[in-house]
Amino acid sequence: MRARVLREVGAMALRDYLRTPDAVFWTYGFPLIMALVLGLAFGERGAQPSRVAVVAGAEVLHAQLEPVAGDAVQIEIDTAERAQRRLVLGSIDAVLSGSLDAPVVTIDPSRPDAELAELRLESALRRARGELADAVQPRIESVDEPGGRYIDFLLPGLIGINLMGAGIYGVGYNVVQMRVKNLLRRIWVTPVGRVEFLVAFLSSRLLLALLPPFVILAFGMLAFGVPVAPGAWAAIAVLVLAGAAAFSGFGLLLASRARTLETLSGLMNVVMLPMWLCGGAFFSNDRFPAVLQPLVRALPLTWLTDGLRSAMLGATDVLAAWPATALLLAFAAATTTLAGRLFRWA
Amino acid sequence: MTRTGELAIDVCGLRKVYRGRREVVAVAELDLQVERGEVFGLLGPNGAGKTTTVEICEGLVEPTAGDVRILGRRWSDDPRAIRQRIGVSLQETRPDARYGQLSGGQRQRLAVATALAGRPELLFLDEPTTGLDPQSRRSLWEVVRSFRAAGGTVLLTTHYMDEAAVLCDRLMIVDHGRQIALGTPRELIASLGAGHVVELEAAGLAGRVDLGRVAGTEGVVECELVGDRLVATVERPHRVVPDLLRIVEATGLPLDGLATRHTSLEDVFVHLTGRHLRDGQEAS
Repeated sequence: MRARVLREVGAMALRDYLRTPDAVFWTYGFPLIMALVLGLAFGERGAQPSRVAVVAGAEVLHAQLEPVAGDAVQIEIDTAERAQRRLVLGSIDAVLSGSLDAPVVTIDPSRPDAELAELRLESALRRARGELADAVQPRIESVDEPGGRYIDFLLPGLIGINLMGAGIYGVGYNVVQMRVKNLLRRIWVTPVGRVEFLVAFLSSRLLLALLPPFVILAFGMLAFGVPVAPGAWAAIAVLVLAGAAAFSGFGLLLASRARTLETLSGLMNVVMLPMWLCGGAFFSNDRFPAVLQPLVRALPLTWLTDGLRSAMLGATDVLAAWPATALLLAFAAATTTLAGRLFRWA
Repeated sequence: MTRTGELAIDVCGLRKVYRGRREVVAVAELDLQVERGEVFGLLGPNGAGKTTTVEICEGLVEPTAGDVRILGRRWSDDPRAIRQRIGVSLQETRPDARYGQLSGGQRQRLAVATALAGRPELLFLDEPTTGLDPQSRRSLWEVVRSFRAAGGTVLLTTHYMDEAAVLCDRLMIVDHGRQIALGTPRELIASLGAGHVVELEAAGLAGRVDLGRVAGTEGVVECELVGDRLVATVERPHRVVPDLLRIVEATGLPLDGLATRHTSLEDVFVHLTGRHLRDGQEAS
């Protein structure tokens, strides 16, 4: 082996790495961003109070607990139905019902914070009764029936991620590839108009995006018994359509000017990474600090996953799903219109 | 339909400047008139502005200045009306995935076929035969000829002088974004002022021959040394060749070769542009 050859080929590999912004991003940028975002969501566990909802009807319990709760337990009152749903969605850690003498604590044992919340509640209940020993043990109930498990939380998130990929990748990547391969120019020189082309292309891609969410849903239902509330189907269908439109429009916008696949891939990373992490697909958005909430709530993926999750749990019917639907459709209209303005054939 | 006698392409005062970190003048100043029913060829070295000119005519590139009328219409008036009456075969860049299995010749024929699919009146062909084998080139020429026979008009660019000579009714040679010659192939060849080229070759000739004496020989219009080859443009080879032979004989070198041929379009081109045509990537 010749040292000079080894040196030159080695240097070539290093230069190649440094000249690929993508590779540098995925080795340095991505893990650091992951660490930062997940740290924000899961990092300050010790300092965070356990959030507990006392169900309506047990207000007495709330009044009794409030003075002794301290900083470790944050108590609020909610209806039994809503509290149950928030527990499933992960925005609260425990639900408290019953009375001081016969308390019932409901937790989701699959969540890491459940046990801590339970211990803190028990200690608060003891203090409220003024007892030191001979404590009345609260009855502990678990939500582990279908609807409250992580897979039930995850499935709407996966559908959201799927629609985001179908739109941003399926439309964006394909349009830029057609541009790179000169295919767009070949269409440009024909009597086909710009708007005609974009409408036809978007519509066919939209149709393609509609089926996979229902395949994922059917798989979840068959393999894991993920529940879908009866009457939820209309809301799910409307949300899937609106989500597909929103992300197709977004994909088209990203692709409207990009001349190379590298440019597009950079744009897609910037847009998709925050949504993967903060779009409420894999864990609840409520985990982020309050200062970040407006940002997290402004992500289209958040609208879609939250909307789908509520719909599947039967919390929202097709009419109640209108805010998420309207936001997604408005986003679709805005991105598509802007993309139509910015679009370049070559 | 447009009125008869109207030009298929009428371009006046065309200019195209690409602005960027470095300003690039692709077309400096160009007038281009293509009659209906003719095959018009644009020739020029790489980067001369041929492709830019064609793409402006195709409505793909906005000119910096100048008036462009295609079949009597301007691109700003009604682009779709123009597109419905033209056919375009773009310069081949790289194989597409979908028809990557096709050979270069098949791909080019497909590109021209799609350009012809809309029954256009005016056909744009940008380097239609670059990279093709002789058979494929000839079959493409046939397509162009039959399109012309049916009344169609063609604007094409090419690097091949033989192609331009057999296919085009009229030619324009451009360089540095300007017209440097315009006419029928016959007119352009005649413009050199002499119809024949004589080439004499002898090893070591470059350092020994007196080029001034060659230039002074009666009947020699132009002469140059290409390596050890003496190339002279002459009017009547039968008169000049004996004199040239005597000049080479005087050097004492044995003659390795003697050839005479008609002046070709390539001679015109090299004479006018000072560069040999290269087949390959177009810079413009």
